[in-house]
Amino acid sequence: MDKISIPIGPQHPLLKEPLSMMVDISGEKVLGGSLRLGYVHRGIERLAQQRTYVQNIHLIERICGICSHVHTTTYCYAVEALLGIEIPPRAQYIRALMCELERIHSHLLWLGILAKHIGLDTIFMHTWHDREMVLDIMEEVSGGRISHAANQIGGVRFDLDEEKGEMIRKILIKLHSQVEGLLDVIESEPAAIARTKGVAPISPDLIKAYGVVGPIARASGVDVDMRRDASLPPYDQLEVKVITHSDGDAWARTFVRVEETRVSLNLCETIIREMPRGDVVVHAPRRVPEGEVIIRSEAPRGELFYYLRSDGSDKPARLKVRTPTLAALSLLPVQLSEINVADIPVVLAGVDLCIACADR
Amino acid sequence: MDKIKKRFTLLNAVVEAMIKQPETIKYPFAAMELPEGFRGAIVFDPDKCSGCGLCVRDCPAEALHINKKSREEYTLLHYPARCAYCGQCEDSCRHGAISHSNKLVGATTHKDDWVLVFKDSKASQE
Repeated sequence: MDKISIPIGPQHPLLKEPLSMMVDISGEKVLGGSLRLGYVHRGIERLAQQRTYVQNIHLIERICGICSHVHTTTYCYAVEALLGIEIPPRAQYIRALMCELERIHSHLLWLGILAKHIGLDTIFMHTWHDREMVLDIMEEVSGGRISHAANQIGGVRFDLDEEKGEMIRKILIKLHSQVEGLLDVIESEPAAIARTKGVAPISPDLIKAYGVVGPIARASGVDVDMRRDASLPPYDQLEVKVITHSDGDAWARTFVRVEETRVSLNLCETIIREMPRGDVVVHAPRRVPEGEVIIRSEAPRGELFYYLRSDGSDKPARLKVRTPTLAALSLLPVQLSEINVADIPVVLAGVDLCIACADR
Repeated sequence: MDKIKKRFTLLNAVVEAMIKQPETIKYPFAAMELPEGFRGAIVFDPDKCSGCGLCVRDCPAEALHINKKSREEYTLLHYPARCAYCGQCEDSCRHGAISHSNKLVGATTHKDDWVLVFKDSKASQE
């Protein structure tokens, strides 16, 4: 049968963000594909060189609309490392709490998108409803649903009182039972299993060859998690259970993410329970001494890498961001080969693409 | 048995959805409750402003502008459409002159609303 090339994107109902793909098909079989990136490139790394360290917090926050807090957290840890200051333990815990809440809402958002693509609209409605609870917490504590602006150089902007802690705990308990229900559904719902089991499996060797990180790597049995491996505070004091699976298919990726949501919920409860008392911010000078630093952290989609170089002024000389989606995108053409045309949405959703992060 | 039980997990949610109120509110006809710390429209207190310009220096969106002739004579302007409502000005102000309210910022059809004069030292002296 002849080979036909079908363009998907940059504007396509399948995609939530612009990405251009050319998929080669022969009958019902997909032979392979190619990608074209850069539709949401905003030149953020270059812009960061023209703004002060303080202004950059809000610029960096706008790299991504889902994992905005982990970007600013990593950036702030990088600046604080160059300044040689250590933020108060309470601020570290609040930063981690926001990171975990972000992971929960990112994974729930993703599960909803996957469910929508495979025709389980009920799950889509429920996950997005549950996600709203997390966004309510974030809005209540930080003042913003998506752009939390929680970080500042030297700590965080807000403190959590007993009342807010109790409010978060109550919502998290409710969310816990909802997530248990979702886990039951993906483990037992025949439609979900039929559409995801055995679809586009990735071997651990391929994961290592392409440098893929995060839940995709963990679903293929590669035990990597920056919360444990990079041990950025306060994760060095918390026990992080890393979820892995050996199958490497779309179902394993779903399982890993839902289990991770459960782990994050437990982690949030631990953080609130063990949060030390004290200040939430220390004074930080505006000028950053000359030097360079690398900071790695675990974003909802995997390892986030920040390189920051200072020339001694109040503006960074170079800021390099490496997001987890970029590695996952490089593996996408490989995943798109030898599958059915009907499985393209499952493969695309399974990667959990964040094009805004990758393009910057 | 356990597997069959798991298959009916969503049934509870369906029953719950039939009896509970809708999640959406009919804004702007119904009141929308926003948290106390919500970063909404900016509130400015001209009496507290010293004209130091720290808010202007730190604003990442260049939504604040100061025309300064001398220490006493200056005009502080705010461009709401440029504002990112990030709260940096509130954070930078040492005198508590600038803060966020929990009111939403509405759209405007008047060109005059594009620039708000927060403080005109000349007008306040008169």
